[in-house]
Amino acid sequence: MAYKLEVDGLTEFAEQLGQMADRAPAIASQALYQGAGIMADALREGVKTIKTEKFHYAVFPEVTNRLPTPEEKAIIEAAAAGIAKFKKSGGEIDTSVGFRNAGYAELKGKMVPIPKIVNAINSGTSFMKKQPFVRKSANTATPKVLAAMQKYIEAEFEAIGKEYKASMK
Amino acid sequence: MPSEYAALVAALKLLTIPFAEYGWKARPEGAYGVVQLDFEAGSLDGDGAKSDRAWEGSVDVFYPKLTDRDDIIDAVEETLTTVLGNSWSLNSTQYETGTGLFHVEWVFQCQDTPEEPEPEGGGTNGVQTGS
Repeated sequence: MAYKLEVDGLTEFAEQLGQMADRAPAIASQALYQGAGIMADALREGVKTIKTEKFHYAVFPEVTNRLPTPEEKAIIEAAAAGIAKFKKSGGEIDTSVGFRNAGYAELKGKMVPIPKIVNAINSGTSFMKKQPFVRKSANTATPKVLAAMQKYIEAEFEAIGKEYKASMK
Repeated sequence: MPSEYAALVAALKLLTIPFAEYGWKARPEGAYGVVQLDFEAGSLDGDGAKSDRAWEGSVDVFYPKLTDRDDIIDAVEETLTTVLGNSWSLNSTQYETGTGLFHVEWVFQCQDTPEEPEPEGGGTNGVQTGS
């Protein structure tokens, strides 16, 4: 004897899944944008924690652990950390937060690339003390970014489900 | 101070180039290194207290000649691997035009392994002794 198994609502569920797949890239980009915003805010807060001191250039050869000057900090504060353009490659969406495209600033009468100043403070040099504010703010902000992105994606998918149910009535 | 960090500093000070913690007061001649802890990277909670704490730190090496590079870099990376396993990475490399020094920076994470408490009963295998 043959049994027939019927499941109600399976076609509707498949349609709903298809709708989610169509809208997934847009939702992912939006979630990534929000996460990158949180990371950029954390980085801007990190810039404020840089310690500075007035520097006497005459003692340059002997100095091994000076702090950045207030002018150098002001340049980085003015060039707020930005979010790079979103790149799509094979189903993945990438972006980066930082000073990579911050441009140039005038320091001691020379035009100096801003990423170079950030790198000197973040990694330290043979004459400047290291203050790893980028690594520190990225470390503390990463769990918050992941939680915020997950919350946004779950809320969006729930909204799609509700929309679909409303359209069926 | 985390126990793994203390072991790393001791191992780095055995290398051929001089190493100092948290920078030098006067710059040594030739190649030299700096090792330091930067910040607390994260921790796990247990029994209402922090049980496993992790720190992030960095090792910096400055060297004047490009020919020094291979020996120094290999020695430092082998030391990092023997002490910390694979919890380190090369973070940045740069050249300083002002001083003519090459600068390599590694970032590592190390853990404070707390000492295991002695089992209750003094290792009598569960047999209770009357007092």
